Amino acid sequence: MYDNDQMTDSPELRELRDALSGIGMPGRPPLQTIKSRGQAHRRQQRARATRFSVGGVVVAGAMAVGVSLAVTPAQKLGAIQRAAYTLHHNLNGTDTLTLNPVELLDPSQLQSDLARYGISAKVATGSYCTTTPEPTGFSQAVTLPGPGSSGRVGSGDQPTITINPSQIPSGTELSVGYFQLTSGPAAGEQQANMSLIKTNSSSCTTTPPDMSQPDTSNQDFGLIYGGARDRGHSARLSSRSH
Amino acid sequence: MSRDEKGFAEFFQGSWDPCLKAVIASTGDVTQAEEQVAEAFARAWASWRKLRRHPAPRAWVVRTALNAGASRWRRRARELPLADHDREAPDGARTGLDGALLRALRRLPPRQREVIVLRVFLDLDIETTARQLEITPGTVRAHLSRAVTTLRNELAQANIMETDPCTTTIR
Repeated sequence: MYDNDQMTDSPELRELRDALSGIGMPGRPPLQTIKSRGQAHRRQQRARATRFSVGGVVVAGAMAVGVSLAVTPAQKLGAIQRAAYTLHHNLNGTDTLTLNPVELLDPSQLQSDLARYGISAKVATGSYCTTTPEPTGFSQAVTLPGPGSSGRVGSGDQPTITINPSQIPSGTELSVGYFQLTSGPAAGEQQANMSLIKTNSSSCTTTPPDMSQPDTSNQDFGLIYGGARDRGHSARLSSRSH
Repeated sequence: MSRDEKGFAEFFQGSWDPCLKAVIASTGDVTQAEEQVAEAFARAWASWRKLRRHPAPRAWVVRTALNAGASRWRRRARELPLADHDREAPDGARTGLDGALLRALRRLPPRQREVIVLRVFLDLDIETTARQLEITPGTVRAHLSRAVTTLRNELAQANIMETDPCTTTIR
Protein backbone atom coordinates (compact mmCIF):
# COMPACT_ATOMS: atom_id res chain seq x y z
CA MET A 1 0.00 0.00 0.00
CA TYR A 2 1.13 3.56 -0.67
CA ASP A 3 1.84 5.88 2.16
CA ASN A 4 -0.28 8.96 2.39
CA ASP A 5 1.90 11.42 0.44
CA GLN A 6 2.46 9.00 -2.38
CA MET A 7 -1.24 8.36 -2.68
CA THR A 8 -2.33 11.98 -2.84
CA ASP A 9 0.53 12.72 -5.19
CA SER A 10 -0.29 9.88 -7.56
CA PRO A 11 -0.54 10.84 -11.27
CA GLU A 12 -4.26 10.06 -11.32
CA LEU A 13 -5.08 12.37 -8.43
CA ARG A 14 -2.72 15.04 -9.75
CA GLU A 15 -4.60 14.82 -13.03
CA LEU A 16 -7.91 15.16 -11.21
CA ARG A 17 -6.63 18.20 -9.32
CA ASP A 18 -5.26 19.80 -12.48
CA ALA A 19 -8.44 19.14 -14.41
CA LEU A 20 -10.46 20.72 -11.67
CA SER A 21 -8.33 23.81 -11.52
CA GLY A 22 -9.22 24.53 -15.15
CA ILE A 23 -12.99 24.45 -14.69
CA GLY A 24 -14.86 27.54 -15.79
CA MET A 25 -16.53 28.47 -12.52
CA PRO A 26 -19.90 30.18 -12.41
CA GLY A 27 -19.99 33.38 -10.37
CA ARG A 28 -20.67 33.32 -6.66
CA PRO A 29 -24.29 34.14 -5.80
CA PRO A 30 -24.87 37.28 -3.72
CA LEU A 31 -24.17 36.69 -0.04
CA GLN A 32 -27.52 38.25 0.85
CA THR A 33 -29.33 35.62 -1.22
CA ILE A 34 -27.61 32.83 0.68
CA LYS A 35 -28.36 34.48 4.01
CA SER A 36 -32.02 34.95 3.10
CA ARG A 37 -32.29 31.26 2.32
CA GLY A 38 -30.49 30.49 5.57
CA GLN A 39 -32.91 32.66 7.52
CA ALA A 40 -35.80 30.77 5.94
CA HIS A 41 -34.16 27.55 7.18
CA ARG A 42 -33.88 29.00 10.67
CA ARG A 43 -37.55 29.87 10.68
CA GLN A 44 -38.40 26.38 9.49
CA GLN A 45 -36.23 24.90 12.25
CA ARG A 46 -37.98 27.04 14.84
CA ALA A 47 -41.40 26.22 13.41
CA ARG A 48 -40.51 22.52 13.38
CA ALA A 49 -39.41 22.72 17.01
CA THR A 50 -42.67 24.42 17.89
CA ARG A 51 -44.67 21.86 15.95
CA PHE A 52 -42.91 19.03 17.74
CA SER A 53 -43.64 20.55 21.10
CA VAL A 54 -47.34 20.81 20.38
CA GLY A 55 -47.40 18.06 17.78
CA GLY A 56 -49.38 15.56 19.79
CA VAL A 57 -52.16 18.00 20.46
CA VAL A 58 -52.28 19.21 16.86
CA VAL A 59 -52.29 15.72 15.37
CA ALA A 60 -54.99 14.59 17.75
CA GLY A 61 -57.04 17.68 16.92
CA ALA A 62 -56.53 17.25 13.21
CA MET A 63 -57.57 13.63 13.37
CA ALA A 64 -60.66 14.58 15.31
CA VAL A 65 -61.81 17.04 12.67
CA GLY A 66 -60.40 15.14 9.71
CA VAL A 67 -57.91 17.80 8.66
CA SER A 68 -55.10 16.65 6.44
CA LEU A 69 -51.64 17.70 7.59
CA ALA A 70 -49.91 16.41 4.49
CA VAL A 71 -47.78 18.83 2.53
CA THR A 72 -48.19 18.94 -1.21
CA PRO A 73 -45.39 17.80 -3.52
CA ALA A 74 -44.99 21.42 -4.60
CA GLN A 75 -44.06 22.36 -1.04
CA LYS A 76 -41.33 19.75 -0.97
CA LEU A 77 -39.93 21.10 -4.20
CA GLY A 78 -39.62 24.66 -2.98
CA ALA A 79 -42.99 26.04 -4.08
CA ILE A 80 -45.93 26.64 -1.80
CA GLN A 81 -49.24 26.11 -3.51
CA ARG A 82 -52.39 27.44 -1.90
CA ALA A 83 -55.81 27.86 -3.44
CA ALA A 84 -55.47 31.65 -3.47
CA TYR A 85 -51.81 31.90 -4.50
CA THR A 86 -48.60 30.14 -5.36
CA LEU A 87 -45.28 31.18 -3.90
CA HIS A 88 -42.30 29.96 -5.83
CA HIS A 89 -38.62 30.34 -4.99
CA ASN A 90 -36.44 31.14 -8.01
CA LEU A 91 -32.83 30.13 -8.43
CA ASN A 92 -31.72 33.76 -8.69
CA GLY A 93 -32.88 34.33 -5.12
CA THR A 94 -36.15 36.07 -5.91
CA ASP A 95 -39.60 34.74 -5.04
CA THR A 96 -42.65 34.87 -7.24
CA LEU A 97 -46.11 35.32 -5.79
CA THR A 98 -48.90 34.46 -8.22
CA LEU A 99 -52.40 35.34 -7.12
CA ASN A 100 -55.42 33.34 -8.10
CA PRO A 101 -58.12 35.94 -8.69
CA VAL A 102 -61.03 33.61 -8.05
CA GLU A 103 -60.01 32.55 -4.57
CA LEU A 104 -60.03 34.55 -1.37
CA LEU A 105 -56.70 35.02 0.33
CA ASP A 106 -55.89 34.08 3.91
CA PRO A 107 -53.55 36.88 5.06
CA SER A 108 -52.10 35.06 8.07
CA GLN A 109 -51.25 32.09 5.88
CA LEU A 110 -49.58 34.34 3.32
CA GLN A 111 -47.56 36.07 6.05
CA SER A 112 -46.44 32.72 7.38
CA ASP A 113 -45.54 31.43 3.90
CA LEU A 114 -43.59 34.58 3.08
CA ALA A 115 -41.68 34.15 6.34
CA ARG A 116 -40.77 30.60 5.33
CA TYR A 117 -39.09 32.10 2.29
CA GLY A 118 -37.20 34.64 4.36
CA ILE A 119 -39.49 37.55 3.53
CA SER A 120 -40.45 39.55 6.57
CA ALA A 121 -43.93 40.94 5.99
CA LYS A 122 -46.94 42.23 7.85
CA VAL A 123 -50.05 40.98 6.07
CA ALA A 124 -53.39 42.17 7.42
CA THR A 125 -57.03 41.88 6.47
CA GLY A 126 -58.99 45.10 6.39
CA SER A 127 -55.99 47.14 7.36
CA TYR A 128 -53.00 48.64 5.58
CA CYS A 129 -49.92 49.93 7.35
CA THR A 130 -47.53 52.53 6.01
CA THR A 131 -44.56 54.51 7.21
CA THR A 132 -44.25 58.22 6.43
CA PRO A 133 -42.00 59.04 4.73
CA GLU A 134 -41.93 55.69 2.95
CA PRO A 135 -38.57 53.92 3.14
CA THR A 136 -36.76 53.84 -0.20
CA GLY A 137 -36.01 50.66 -2.11
CA PHE A 138 -39.51 49.37 -2.76
CA SER A 139 -39.15 49.29 -6.53
CA GLN A 140 -35.96 47.22 -6.21
CA ALA A 141 -37.54 44.81 -3.75
CA VAL A 142 -40.88 44.29 -5.47
CA THR A 143 -41.69 44.22 -9.16
CA LEU A 144 -44.89 43.68 -11.05
CA PRO A 145 -44.28 42.18 -14.48
CA GLY A 146 -47.78 43.16 -15.56
CA PRO A 147 -48.84 46.25 -17.44
CA GLY A 148 -47.37 49.67 -16.70
CA SER A 149 -48.88 52.28 -14.43
CA SER A 150 -52.40 50.97 -14.81
CA GLY A 151 -54.34 48.54 -16.91
CA ARG A 152 -56.50 45.47 -17.03
CA VAL A 153 -55.39 41.92 -16.81
CA GLY A 154 -57.01 39.72 -19.42
CA SER A 155 -59.69 37.27 -18.49
CA GLY A 156 -58.28 34.46 -16.39
CA ASP A 157 -54.86 36.09 -15.98
CA GLN A 158 -53.18 35.79 -12.64
CA PRO A 159 -51.32 38.80 -11.23
CA THR A 160 -47.70 37.93 -10.56
CA ILE A 161 -45.48 39.78 -8.11
CA THR A 162 -41.75 39.21 -7.86
CA ILE A 163 -40.10 39.85 -4.52
CA ASN A 164 -36.36 40.09 -4.04
CA PRO A 165 -35.70 39.52 -0.31
CA SER A 166 -32.09 40.62 -0.63
CA GLN A 167 -33.28 44.07 -1.73
CA ILE A 168 -35.49 44.66 1.27
CA PRO A 169 -33.49 47.19 3.33
CA SER A 170 -32.61 46.17 6.84
CA GLY A 171 -34.95 47.57 9.46
CA THR A 172 -37.86 47.41 7.05
CA GLU A 173 -40.44 44.84 6.07
CA LEU A 174 -43.19 44.51 3.52
CA SER A 175 -46.63 45.71 4.42
CA VAL A 176 -49.49 43.99 2.64
CA GLY A 177 -53.00 45.26 3.19
CA TYR A 178 -55.80 43.04 1.97
CA PHE A 179 -59.38 44.14 1.55
CA GLN A 180 -62.54 42.47 0.33
CA LEU A 181 -64.30 45.43 -1.22
CA THR A 182 -67.96 45.78 -0.33
CA SER A 183 -68.84 49.10 -1.94
CA GLY A 184 -67.94 51.27 -4.90
CA PRO A 185 -67.38 50.23 -8.49
CA ALA A 186 -65.12 47.35 -7.47
CA ALA A 187 -67.52 45.92 -4.88
CA GLY A 188 -67.05 42.19 -4.50
CA GLU A 189 -63.46 42.27 -5.69
CA GLN A 190 -60.24 41.96 -3.72
CA GLN A 191 -57.72 44.72 -3.22
CA ALA A 192 -54.14 44.24 -2.12
CA ASN A 193 -51.72 47.06 -1.41
CA MET A 194 -48.05 46.66 -0.77
CA SER A 195 -45.29 48.97 0.45
CA LEU A 196 -42.19 48.97 2.61
CA ILE A 197 -42.53 50.00 6.24
CA LYS A 198 -40.07 50.49 9.06
CA THR A 199 -40.28 47.46 11.30
CA ASN A 200 -40.95 49.46 14.45
CA SER A 201 -42.68 52.49 13.06
CA SER A 202 -45.86 52.40 11.02
CA SER A 203 -49.43 53.58 11.18
CA CYS A 204 -52.38 51.61 9.89
CA THR A 205 -55.68 52.49 8.28
CA THR A 206 -58.80 50.43 7.82
CA THR A 207 -59.80 52.37 4.70
CA PRO A 208 -58.61 50.82 1.45
CA PRO A 209 -56.28 53.24 -0.39
CA ASP A 210 -57.98 55.02 -3.25
CA MET A 211 -56.98 53.17 -6.38
CA SER A 212 -58.45 55.71 -8.76
CA GLN A 213 -55.57 58.08 -8.07
CA PRO A 214 -52.40 57.04 -9.87
CA ASP A 215 -49.31 57.11 -7.70
CA THR A 216 -45.99 57.78 -9.37
CA SER A 217 -43.80 57.57 -6.29
CA ASN A 218 -42.71 54.00 -7.05
CA GLN A 219 -42.90 53.37 -3.32
CA ASP A 220 -45.98 51.17 -3.26
CA PHE A 221 -48.60 49.57 -5.42
CA GLY A 222 -52.18 48.53 -5.24
CA LEU A 223 -53.93 45.72 -6.96
CA ILE A 224 -57.62 45.12 -7.52
CA TYR A 225 -58.27 41.67 -8.74
CA GLY A 226 -61.14 39.28 -9.31
CA GLY A 227 -63.63 38.70 -6.59
CA ALA A 228 -65.36 35.61 -5.38
CA ARG A 229 -65.46 32.47 -7.47
CA ASP A 230 -68.99 33.16 -8.77
CA ARG A 231 -68.13 36.65 -10.00
CA GLY A 232 -66.33 35.27 -12.99
CA HIS A 233 -62.82 36.15 -13.98
CA SER A 234 -62.64 39.89 -14.03
CA ALA A 235 -59.09 40.21 -12.81
CA ARG A 236 -58.38 43.89 -12.91
CA LEU A 237 -54.96 45.23 -12.16
CA SER A 238 -54.62 48.82 -11.11
CA SER A 239 -51.02 49.27 -10.35
CA ARG A 240 -50.04 52.48 -8.65
CA SER A 241 -46.38 52.09 -9.38
CA HIS A 242 -44.01 50.36 -11.65
CA MET B 1 -22.02 44.08 10.57
CA SER B 2 -21.89 41.66 13.51
CA ARG B 3 -18.98 39.35 14.17
CA ASP B 4 -21.06 36.39 13.00
CA GLU B 5 -21.98 38.12 9.77
CA LYS B 6 -18.40 39.12 9.11
CA GLY B 7 -17.10 35.65 9.86
CA PHE B 8 -19.66 34.01 7.61
CA ALA B 9 -19.03 36.50 4.80
CA GLU B 10 -15.31 35.69 4.90
CA PHE B 11 -15.98 31.98 5.00
CA PHE B 12 -18.44 32.20 2.11
CA GLN B 13 -16.12 34.26 -0.05
CA GLY B 14 -13.10 32.07 0.60
CA SER B 15 -14.85 28.72 0.43
CA TRP B 16 -17.39 28.98 -2.37
CA ASP B 17 -15.01 28.05 -5.20
CA PRO B 18 -13.24 25.10 -3.51
CA CYS B 19 -16.54 23.68 -2.26
CA LEU B 20 -18.21 24.08 -5.64
CA LYS B 21 -15.26 22.43 -7.41
CA ALA B 22 -15.38 19.50 -5.03
CA VAL B 23 -19.10 18.99 -5.62
CA ILE B 24 -18.76 19.42 -9.39
CA ALA B 25 -16.09 16.73 -9.36
CA SER B 26 -18.45 14.41 -7.56
CA THR B 27 -21.65 15.17 -9.48
CA GLY B 28 -20.32 16.22 -12.88
CA ASP B 29 -23.06 18.80 -13.32
CA VAL B 30 -22.19 22.46 -12.79
CA THR B 31 -25.78 23.72 -12.51
CA GLN B 32 -26.84 21.03 -10.10
CA ALA B 33 -23.67 21.45 -8.05
CA GLU B 34 -24.17 25.21 -7.89
CA GLU B 35 -27.68 24.78 -6.50
CA GLN B 36 -26.58 22.12 -3.99
CA VAL B 37 -23.68 24.24 -2.75
CA ALA B 38 -25.89 27.33 -2.47
CA GLU B 39 -28.32 25.29 -0.41
CA ALA B 40 -25.49 23.98 1.77
CA PHE B 41 -24.17 27.50 2.42
CA ALA B 42 -27.71 28.63 3.30
CA ARG B 43 -27.88 25.83 5.86
CA ALA B 44 -24.41 26.79 7.04
CA TRP B 45 -25.66 30.31 7.74
CA ALA B 46 -28.71 28.90 9.52
CA SER B 47 -26.36 26.94 11.82
CA TRP B 48 -23.42 29.34 11.77
CA ARG B 49 -23.16 29.73 15.53
CA LYS B 50 -22.35 26.05 15.81
CA LEU B 51 -20.58 25.68 12.50
CA ARG B 52 -18.09 28.50 13.07
CA ARG B 53 -16.45 26.28 15.69
CA HIS B 54 -16.38 23.27 13.37
CA PRO B 55 -12.84 21.99 12.67
CA ALA B 56 -13.51 21.71 8.92
CA PRO B 57 -16.49 23.84 7.91
CA ARG B 58 -15.75 23.41 4.19
CA ALA B 59 -16.06 19.67 4.58
CA TRP B 60 -19.38 20.21 6.33
CA VAL B 61 -20.61 22.31 3.40
CA VAL B 62 -19.47 19.77 0.82
CA ARG B 63 -21.02 16.84 2.64
CA THR B 64 -24.25 18.78 3.15
CA ALA B 65 -24.29 19.66 -0.55
CA LEU B 66 -23.71 16.06 -1.58
CA ASN B 67 -26.39 14.85 0.83
CA ALA B 68 -28.80 17.46 -0.56
CA GLY B 69 -28.08 16.07 -4.00
CA ALA B 70 -28.68 12.52 -2.84
CA SER B 71 -31.99 13.55 -1.29
CA ARG B 72 -32.99 15.27 -4.51
CA TRP B 73 -32.26 12.17 -6.55
CA ARG B 74 -34.05 9.94 -4.07
CA ARG B 75 -37.03 12.26 -4.24
CA ARG B 76 -36.97 12.22 -8.02
CA ALA B 77 -36.81 8.46 -7.91
CA ARG B 78 -39.93 8.35 -5.77
CA GLU B 79 -41.80 10.88 -7.84
CA LEU B 80 -40.81 9.55 -11.25
CA PRO B 81 -40.50 5.80 -10.76
CA LEU B 82 -40.58 5.02 -14.47
CA ALA B 83 -38.90 8.09 -15.87
CA ASP B 84 -35.21 8.92 -16.06
CA HIS B 85 -34.29 5.68 -14.32
CA ASP B 86 -31.50 4.94 -16.74
CA ARG B 87 -30.53 8.51 -17.41
CA GLU B 88 -26.77 8.94 -17.59
CA ALA B 89 -25.34 11.53 -15.25
CA PRO B 90 -24.19 14.56 -17.23
CA ASP B 91 -20.74 14.14 -18.72
CA GLY B 92 -17.81 16.42 -18.33
CA ALA B 93 -18.35 18.39 -21.52
CA ARG B 94 -19.83 21.34 -19.63
CA THR B 95 -17.44 21.12 -16.72
CA GLY B 96 -14.16 21.09 -18.58
CA LEU B 97 -13.20 17.96 -16.69
CA ASP B 98 -11.65 15.07 -18.49
CA GLY B 99 -14.53 12.77 -19.42
CA ALA B 100 -12.89 9.41 -18.67
CA LEU B 101 -11.48 10.62 -15.39
CA LEU B 102 -14.80 12.10 -14.33
CA ARG B 103 -16.71 8.95 -15.23
CA ALA B 104 -14.19 6.87 -13.35
CA LEU B 105 -14.50 9.11 -10.31
CA ARG B 106 -18.28 8.89 -10.36
CA ARG B 107 -18.15 5.12 -10.63
CA LEU B 108 -16.19 4.84 -7.39
CA PRO B 109 -18.13 3.60 -4.37
CA PRO B 110 -19.58 6.60 -2.45
CA ARG B 111 -17.20 6.30 0.48
CA GLN B 112 -14.12 6.21 -1.75
CA ARG B 113 -15.43 9.21 -3.66
CA GLU B 114 -16.02 11.10 -0.41
CA VAL B 115 -12.47 10.40 0.68
CA ILE B 116 -11.16 11.70 -2.63
CA VAL B 117 -13.28 14.83 -2.41
CA LEU B 118 -12.23 15.69 1.13
CA ARG B 119 -8.63 14.56 0.96
CA VAL B 120 -7.76 15.70 -2.55
CA PHE B 121 -10.08 18.56 -3.42
CA LEU B 122 -10.45 20.15 0.01
CA ASP B 123 -6.91 19.18 0.99
CA LEU B 124 -7.89 17.88 4.42
CA ASP B 125 -5.31 15.77 6.20
CA ILE B 126 -5.93 12.10 6.91
CA GLU B 127 -6.97 12.64 10.52
CA THR B 128 -9.46 15.40 9.73
CA THR B 129 -10.88 13.41 6.82
CA ALA B 130 -11.30 10.45 9.14
CA ARG B 131 -13.09 12.56 11.74
CA GLN B 132 -15.43 14.03 9.13
CA LEU B 133 -16.39 10.63 7.83
CA GLU B 134 -16.38 9.06 11.30
CA ILE B 135 -13.98 6.33 10.25
CA THR B 136 -10.44 5.55 11.30
CA PRO B 137 -7.37 7.05 9.61
CA GLY B 138 -6.40 3.54 8.50
CA THR B 139 -9.74 3.16 6.74
CA VAL B 140 -9.23 6.51 5.01
CA ARG B 141 -5.86 5.29 3.72
CA ALA B 142 -7.42 2.04 2.54
CA HIS B 143 -10.23 3.84 0.68
CA LEU B 144 -7.74 6.22 -0.89
CA SER B 145 -5.49 3.39 -1.98
CA ARG B 146 -8.37 1.44 -3.52
CA ALA B 147 -9.70 4.55 -5.23
CA VAL B 148 -6.31 5.32 -6.78
CA THR B 149 -5.98 1.73 -7.98
CA THR B 150 -9.45 1.82 -9.52
CA LEU B 151 -8.86 5.16 -11.19
CA ARG B 152 -5.56 3.91 -12.58
CA ASN B 153 -7.15 0.77 -13.99
CA GLU B 154 -10.11 2.65 -15.44
CA LEU B 155 -7.87 5.20 -17.07
CA ALA B 156 -5.60 2.48 -18.49
CA GLN B 157 -8.67 0.72 -19.87
CA ALA B 158 -9.96 3.98 -21.37
CA ASN B 159 -6.58 4.59 -22.99
CA ILE B 160 -6.54 1.11 -24.49
CA MET B 161 -9.99 1.63 -25.96
CA GLU B 162 -8.98 4.99 -27.35
CA THR B 163 -5.93 3.62 -29.11
CA ASP B 164 -7.48 0.33 -30.21
CA PRO B 165 -11.24 0.24 -29.85
CA CYS B 166 -11.37 -3.44 -30.99
CA THR B 167 -9.20 -4.77 -28.21
CA THR B 168 -12.01 -5.31 -25.78
CA THR B 169 -14.58 -6.54 -28.27
CA ILE B 170 -12.52 -9.34 -29.91
CA ARG B 171 -12.04 -11.25 -26.72
